[in-house]
Amino acid sequence: MRLPKIYGFLKKDLDIIESALHESIQATHPVLRKASMELLEAGGKRIRPVFVLLAGQLRDYDINNIKKVAVSLELIHMATLVHDDVIDEAELRRGKPTTKSLYGNRVAMYTGDYILARALEEATTIRDANVHRLLSKTLVEVSIGEIEQIKDKFVWDQTLRDYLRRIKRKTALLIASSCKLGAIVSGLDERDTDRLYQYGYNIGMSYQIIDDILDFTSSAKELGKPAGNDLLQGNITLPVLYAMENKEFKQMIEETFIHPDHTDIDENTMKMILSKLKSTDAINMSYKVSDLYLDKALRSLDPLPHSRAKQTLQDIAKYIGKRRS
Amino acid sequence: MNTSIIEIQNLRELLEDKLQHEYLEKYIQKPVIDDEKLSILISLVNNRLSLSPTQKDQYIITAMMVQVALDTHELVPVQNDSNETNEEKLTKQLRVLAGDYYSGLYYLLLSEIEDFDFIHTLASAIKKINEYKIKLYYKEVESFDDFIELTKKIDSAVILQVAQFLYGSSLDQVIADWLFTERMSREIREAHISGQFPLYEAWQAIDQYSNHFSFTNKINGIIHKNRLKIADQTSNLPDQYLFIKNHLLSRINETKHHDSPTAEEG
Repeated sequence: MRLPKIYGFLKKDLDIIESALHESIQATHPVLRKASMELLEAGGKRIRPVFVLLAGQLRDYDINNIKKVAVSLELIHMATLVHDDVIDEAELRRGKPTTKSLYGNRVAMYTGDYILARALEEATTIRDANVHRLLSKTLVEVSIGEIEQIKDKFVWDQTLRDYLRRIKRKTALLIASSCKLGAIVSGLDERDTDRLYQYGYNIGMSYQIIDDILDFTSSAKELGKPAGNDLLQGNITLPVLYAMENKEFKQMIEETFIHPDHTDIDENTMKMILSKLKSTDAINMSYKVSDLYLDKALRSLDPLPHSRAKQTLQDIAKYIGKRRS
Repeated sequence: MNTSIIEIQNLRELLEDKLQHEYLEKYIQKPVIDDEKLSILISLVNNRLSLSPTQKDQYIITAMMVQVALDTHELVPVQNDSNETNEEKLTKQLRVLAGDYYSGLYYLLLSEIEDFDFIHTLASAIKKINEYKIKLYYKEVESFDDFIELTKKIDSAVILQVAQFLYGSSLDQVIADWLFTERMSREIREAHISGQFPLYEAWQAIDQYSNHFSFTNKINGIIHKNRLKIADQTSNLPDQYLFIKNHLLSRINETKHHDSPTAEEG
């Protein structure tokens, strides 16, 4: 089953959110408006709004109220993506040209800043201090996570803890916040709100670990970029950390990445590295860690009463756990 | 009430402390804090008696944070240089992230004091500025005067948004004119020393036939005209704005000697 089918019953409400997203980025300047719309229309799974809606359905669900949170979160996510493409000098995202490649760095910067401003304008229509404390803290943590990611590039002696802290900020916090914000807005009690936060956090961790595994196990066609690209960019992910426990692999990595600009690594060398990594137990061990997070995510939902929303959250967790491409 | 040097210094230190990030500072220069904007802000915010001391500090700090965030993003190069070194690339990447980090901090600080309206006010300033900036980027100005007006809007939007939030729009013109006149005057002084003249570079991108000498003369002329206009605007401000009147009059006095002789000739 494809992911959107799992939450198919949310379609009407997701359409409402989609319209609200469109409305919220109607800039006055045509290029700013066009760039924002292209970004929006490039799609994406809208997984954050999905988590907001599902968490919200566990109590007093009011789409008009909850959509404000969902829209703000998605806009924050979009603003991050458009700036990420400047950082990574990315030409394509989801197979489509990035704002940076179509209009240049400056317009991408202005578009990201504009969208973030719109996110905060939308967010302030919610007059709940808990919402803003969580959302603002998440925004800062995500920024710190991005800075840490750059700081940790090509740092081969980093620990598992460094990696986990990085992916927590990079991915898990925004999903955890999506779940918690949906719960806060719909009035769930503090205990259940925290359970949903735990669910989102653990799902986010599991999701990112699998993403990092797929960077080595998927084909270039499936990934839309060369396999092992994360490693080539200096991002040391869980499979690499585990594989580095193997002396030969570690030596191979140290010899390959000895030059400071890392520009002389050809396709064959990368193939050898990938093959060596796959010959270790790194992929298997990484999946095990992902499964641990997945189990925790599912367990945190156990005390909640049965409902369609709870079932869907469980199904999403299982889907993520089975993701192999 | 005049803004004292100690007050400016204290708030500047507080702001620097909030913006401090060890890794960022290793690779990108410390954010430039515009003292003129900071002192106007202090004057505007401190004279709003209904605000609590915490609110006052947070308003000043967060508004300046937004200014710093936007200014930092302005340092991201327009084009990627294929010959850029690893260090240059890292600097570019960190400038993007630093701006985002400062924007997040402004939201966090205001969330802590639950001031949703001020969060909205600063977000609206960011929105407006990016609309203006993209207009300037695409050179959508018809004349030199248009260019000056647009640049003035970009330069003063954060402070004006705060002024409007606290007092309505009565102070817009005088504050925008003052801030921009000071910027022009500062840039001309710095151009004499370092040769760098960002305002001229921005105009040159629009009018490639312009020359430094005539541009400087035009700017000096505007500075001279604005100083007279500001003095006039300031003395006509109603009594309720005595604080800003005093602030501007004392600043006008302090900065009289700054302008080059060309200004008087212009």
